[in-house]
Amino acid sequence: MDDADEELAARAQTGDRQAFALLVRRHQERVFRFVLRMLGSRDEAMDLTQDTFLKAWNALPAWQPEARFATWLFQIARNATLDLLRRRQLVEFVPLDADTPGEAACEPRDGAPLPEERLADRQRIGLLERALAALPAEQREILLLRELEDMSYAEIAATLGIHEGTVKSRLARARAAALAHYRHHAGESPDERRA
Amino acid sequence: MNAAHEAHITDNDLSAHLDAELDAAAQRRVEGHLAACPRCAARLADFAALSADFDRLPQESFGCDLAGVIAGRLAAVAPPRPRIPAPGWRGLLPLGLGAAASVALGIAMGAALLGGGAALPRMTAMSVFDPIPPGGLCLDACYARGADKTGAFIK
Ligand SMILES: [Zn+2]
Repeated sequence: MDDADEELAARAQTGDRQAFALLVRRHQERVFRFVLRMLGSRDEAMDLTQDTFLKAWNALPAWQPEARFATWLFQIARNATLDLLRRRQLVEFVPLDADTPGEAACEPRDGAPLPEERLADRQRIGLLERALAALPAEQREILLLRELEDMSYAEIAATLGIHEGTVKSRLARARAAALAHYRHHAGESPDERRA
Repeated sequence: MNAAHEAHITDNDLSAHLDAELDAAAQRRVEGHLAACPRCAARLADFAALSADFDRLPQESFGCDLAGVIAGRLAAVAPPRPRIPAPGWRGLLPLGLGAAASVALGIAMGAALLGGGAALPRMTAMSVFDPIPPGGLCLDACYARGADKTGAFIK
């Protein structure tokens, strides 16, 4: 699948909109998920996801076939996200609000009553979302790239433009900071519940 | 002799161990220590539990076909190296309006690439397109709905 990305990107470089449309369909959910978790606002995330692909289309002449298209795309998304955070001086991350009306159409349906385990999961999800909200953008993004996008250290390094050694230490710091948040808000660490 | 006398494993190495990013020698050293040190094992379990929590985050979805939404706007933006002159959506618009839209978008995208100050011209361009949205169904379903509650998340 990823092999064909670069082929499609090369075709898109020549102005092939259908090739670009395939790339958009292939990557829109990943980009959206990342941007949404960075910004915390669905509307902004939808805008910024669109902007990311428009910018990618516009910048395609500068794309080098040696660079993985997905990495390059995430660089664009990430830069746009940080720009927005800076521009709006959104110092405080806005946690995702599940109760916001109008969101139901795009959310997984969930009618059944929650078993106890699900409730515990919900609480833990809440803890994680609050922890993410409290982290500096630099730590939030690296956690998302690793944990949500499942990128290797090499891929993260390429996306963020840092050394792999920095990926290692920054990720460890981000994890430690997130765990400290869990403890602060719940008075427990994740493993205590499992023990 | 035993693990208690050694230095504990650093967060850096525990975290990299979890991600299977340590080289073979470091991996062996960490595993040897973990087998004998409950403190480091507990720390690793913390990292692993945190990692597992990410899998539980709700699967958010963009909710519609973005390629369809932006198709019309790709046509408006000068393609990188066009080989085929495309009639595209401009044929759908009155001549003057189409030209104006192209210019407005060109300016908007230029501003976006230069960074900063892009928000205003982009919105201007959007308003030109609103009457005839390319991929209109998706725009109606997702984009317009989103626009209704713009700012709802900002406190
Ligand atoms: Zn130890």
